[in-house]
Amino acid sequence: MFGNILLTLALAASVFTIIMYYYTHKGYTNTLKFARIGYHSMAILVIASSAMLLHAILTHSYQYKYVYNYSGSDLSTGLLMSTFWAGQEGSFMLWLLFTAITGLILLEYTSKRGDLENRVMMVFTLALTFLLIMVNPLLKNPFSYIWTDPVFINIKNINESFLSLPFIQSFYFEDSSNGTSFIQMNSDLYGLLSANGIAIKDFIVQGKGLNPLLQNFWMQIHPPILFVGFAMSTVPFAFALSALMSNEYKDWVKQSLPWVLSGAMVLGLAIMLGGYWAYGVLGWGGYWGWDPVENSSLVPWIIGVASVHTLLVQKKTQKEGGAGRFVKTNLILCIMTYVLVLYSTFLTRSGILSDASVHSFVAPGRVVFVLLLGFILSFTFIGFGALAYRWKYLNENFSKEGSALSRELALFTGSVALIASAIIILAGTSAPIFGTAVELTFYNELNLPIAIIIGLLNGFSLLVKWKYTEGKDIIKESRNSIVGTVVVTLAIVIIGGVYDLMAVLFTFAAAFTLVVNAEIAYKIFRGRKTYLGAYIAHIGIALFMLGVVATGGFTKSKQVELIKGEPKEVFGREVTFTGWAPFDNGKKYHFNIDIKQGNKVSTIKPVMFIAEFNNSLMREPDILSSFTNDFYISPVGYDEGKAGAHNHGVSESATLKKGESFSFENIKITFTNFNFPPDAMQSMQEGKEFKIGAQLLVEYGNKTKTLEPKMVTREGNRSFENVELEDANLRIEMKNLDAGGTVNLAFSKLDAAQTEESEEIIAKQEILTIDASIKPFINLVWLGVLLVTFGFVISTIRRTKESQA
Amino acid sequence: MNSKYIFGGIIIVVFFGIMAYLFTQTNVSYEENFALIKQSDKTMKATGQWVKAKSYQVDRENNLFAFFMEDAQGNEMKVVYKGAIPNNFESSTSVVVTGKYRNNRFEATEILTKCPSKYEEQFDATASS
Repeated sequence: MFGNILLTLALAASVFTIIMYYYTHKGYTNTLKFARIGYHSMAILVIASSAMLLHAILTHSYQYKYVYNYSGSDLSTGLLMSTFWAGQEGSFMLWLLFTAITGLILLEYTSKRGDLENRVMMVFTLALTFLLIMVNPLLKNPFSYIWTDPVFINIKNINESFLSLPFIQSFYFEDSSNGTSFIQMNSDLYGLLSANGIAIKDFIVQGKGLNPLLQNFWMQIHPPILFVGFAMSTVPFAFALSALMSNEYKDWVKQSLPWVLSGAMVLGLAIMLGGYWAYGVLGWGGYWGWDPVENSSLVPWIIGVASVHTLLVQKKTQKEGGAGRFVKTNLILCIMTYVLVLYSTFLTRSGILSDASVHSFVAPGRVVFVLLLGFILSFTFIGFGALAYRWKYLNENFSKEGSALSRELALFTGSVALIASAIIILAGTSAPIFGTAVELTFYNELNLPIAIIIGLLNGFSLLVKWKYTEGKDIIKESRNSIVGTVVVTLAIVIIGGVYDLMAVLFTFAAAFTLVVNAEIAYKIFRGRKTYLGAYIAHIGIALFMLGVVATGGFTKSKQVELIKGEPKEVFGREVTFTGWAPFDNGKKYHFNIDIKQGNKVSTIKPVMFIAEFNNSLMREPDILSSFTNDFYISPVGYDEGKAGAHNHGVSESATLKKGESFSFENIKITFTNFNFPPDAMQSMQEGKEFKIGAQLLVEYGNKTKTLEPKMVTREGNRSFENVELEDANLRIEMKNLDAGGTVNLAFSKLDAAQTEESEEIIAKQEILTIDASIKPFINLVWLGVLLVTFGFVISTIRRTKESQA
Repeated sequence: MNSKYIFGGIIIVVFFGIMAYLFTQTNVSYEENFALIKQSDKTMKATGQWVKAKSYQVDRENNLFAFFMEDAQGNEMKVVYKGAIPNNFESSTSVVVTGKYRNNRFEATEILTKCPSKYEEQFDATASS
């Protein structure tokens, strides 16, 4: 309840802040301090309510529906904290929290730079208002109590000592299909419990827990960093709007650059951390799958990077006086970055992509759907409405032409190529809205030529000068770089055996970027080191591209069966499965594999376990990393040897209703009726032994026979009488008989059962099946990402200093 | 008219042309009616339910994973996937498979499983006290 009061007050404070900033913008002088008080109070309220949610999670307060649904008592502290953002409500809270904190820094930053604060903070706070509406008590609110809507709580999550209370019985339910019992939690039960002095916190002692796929280190850092990136993408939007409001287009460029750079840095890092999570832990085999949810956060990043380049041109050309070039482009790109972040959120959370993406978020309900849609539409309307309002002025004042052979134009063309790539990804990602989807080749085939163009333009733009370059100067300047590039490309092509034309071109483009940037970086390394940022980031991109060529085109993989103790040759390595070992209190299993290459033996330990959460087999890969490649092993299955080396004992099972039939090895089995002897009912009531049979009609060849496996109940214990049919080579085992009208049967061949037994006597072999692959130079991908991030950091430092000038 | 705009215009037209062409070429449609899938020879994304009663089979030698799927009308089809059983399969409520219908079975290249997030609601229907 208290959390909701804080959130409601924060919403009121945000509206108050906007109004106060508006008056300040209109020229009132005494409202600025109220606006600041308003913003600070709102931020404190948001931080306080987040702290409350975290506290509720850490103290296992299952009276909150959110805590019960996503958290559990058996999680480690780190994972427990990460359940804060495991569901929709909490991740909205996290986004809200980071946006509010970003705003505190932004307020400090803008208050020192002219009259920027009024306009920027007014727009920025509006974004916060929308987020606050999202988490208000009527919508995606993390503080709703569990009894507000009736929910069924598994009996294992309830404190046993309260189950004997007499009134509990009327809230007790049983699912006959699987024998699970539930307590229906609703306001009546809450009333009765409180009347008896029992707190819900003590009544419900365990939550549903966190999905095991999310139970790892990356869950603790990937989502928070992504939301910091989302929060920071609000800033360029606010700056662009501020420029449009004041009709002043010069200073916002240098003022927003540090924010655009740092935002792109954080978002890019977050995206690739997600990629590493998928690769190293989830065992998806790669770092990028063009999944709609991955794409939807990549698109705003690409647009952000494009805006970095055109903003730089505008800043550079301001030296000639005026606002510089590409005024309109920059406004559009900065507005689009945030609109695309909102679009990404909409795609991910509206349930639209639930059939298309592995990151499934459930449909949040109509109201939230409409609100999310309203969120994007409002900001699109505000952004482009303001642009349209000033368009005539912009067109008349900022439509300058420049020389074709200039760095400005090369950078602009590069940005256009980035935008083209963003459009492609956006088109493919949005396809599920229209009930269709694209194959992954769509992304690969279209982005490959664009990446080549971007690589070439990157090198070229650095060889040409600002404003204008003579044609012959370029040739003179670039001679060394071209020679260097050709040498590097040839070396990679020949050593790596790259023969595909597009791959060669791609390699050339990457090498060109690498050589040109390395050359410049080397030259200025001795000079002003803060100027290195761009070149380091570009070298990162070039290495990343080379890593992509290597892993994309030259990954080898195959499935291998490893018999315990027997070495097997896999991709030039001697691989031996040495056995398994339980860990994590016996909940998970390490499957130890020795890998011998030359004289060096290393052990890796992929993981498999049955997760209680969803009763599914979970697998985690393990990787043997070296500089030139990753030896990637993903477990597929484990057979402890009961069925011998080759599993001939094919068995199928089926649950049949009366009148239904099943085909097994060309034999048709129909469940015709129960055989429920008249005396069985009486025996059942008296607790004596009784049998219930299931009559089966078996048709094979031209013959038809009737069989009757039986369920025997003796003193409450059930056992089954199985049947065999020798001339049909069929064995039918009854697994279960349900009074609801179904039988569960397992069918197998008679001879298979025999071979099984005989093989078991001969040898009991433990077999581990693995997917093994060699991923060459995948380290270049990660190294590239680190360099890009590092480059952005350096550039942010440099541009922050310049923004004060 | 400036020649630059004509040049730029041509590039934009060509770009969107290629994109639209590839979009139609790589387009995979969702289909909920298995009767239509069985008639078509195109790659499709079939959405439906796993027939739990018929369980599933794993053929480790050939690395195949097979199960039955049914649509809302009760049409069933056998699905064969080359690869291991997906991590969340057993608890999935609905399945999306991508592939083609051939040789009396759906040969899938991709399986997407969706898990129930609110099993209480389904349970509600069968609850009896």
